[in-house]
Amino acid sequence: MEKNYEKSGKGGDRGDRGDRGDRGEGDEKRGGRGFARRKVCRFCADKKIIVDFKDQSTLKYFVTERGKIIPRRISGNCSKHQRAIAKAVKQSRGLALIPYLVLAS
Amino acid sequence: MAEATKGAAQLREYETVFLVKPDLTDDSVEKVKEKVRGIVGREGGKFLRFTIWGKKKTMYPVAKQPRAIYLHAHYLGKPTLVAEVERNLRIFDEVSRYMSKRLADGIDPETRQPQEDLKLAGDVDDNKPFGGAEREDFNADVDGSYDDDVTPG
Repeated sequence: MEKNYEKSGKGGDRGDRGDRGDRGEGDEKRGGRGFARRKVCRFCADKKIIVDFKDQSTLKYFVTERGKIIPRRISGNCSKHQRAIAKAVKQSRGLALIPYLVLAS
Repeated sequence: MAEATKGAAQLREYETVFLVKPDLTDDSVEKVKEKVRGIVGREGGKFLRFTIWGKKKTMYPVAKQPRAIYLHAHYLGKPTLVAEVERNLRIFDEVSRYMSKRLADGIDPETRQPQEDLKLAGDVDDNKPFGGAEREDFNADVDGSYDDDVTPG
């Protein structure tokens, strides 16, 4: 059971198995049962940012390079905002603002 | 409470984003806009604003085209209005995709004034891959401190 919460914001971007796998090298907390820093939902922390399906640049942050939605344990969103994000990403995909899937080039 | 009784005057706030084919001229885009505006007016709604996002690269081909012109309509109306707008969008040949969303309930139309239409430039450089450099920019711009040094307390 790997608990690797400690990561940079971009770590989940790896397409396949983005949430685990080979991202941990050089991470001092790796291997131990280190305490993960508590993440704060960015939408709760700053009420000014709102989830909007039209706002590609914000949504991109919650989507991997392959186009998958980044899980909550990695993005740090609270459940309410994760639901909103998931919905917004799906709506945005319908309008071709965000890809459904990016093939490896 | 008192406001709830005069519910007949209240409308809902909606937005509709739709994509039209990229080879349309400004005039034809204007025509589509006027048609939509006409429908909203006819059905007892109030049109607030049209925003043309411009020609943008779509993330996947839409109607066999790599780009599309995005239009965003913001209006007030009764629930039946959206169905009517969407029915018409389906009929227009120029429109390849649309999506409507309710933004708010129980809006008094008097409190909202129509705004002038906006026209944005759209994409300047195409062929930007999804992710890559663009992503770096975003991380740097929006909130440098966000990445993971958010420590409570």
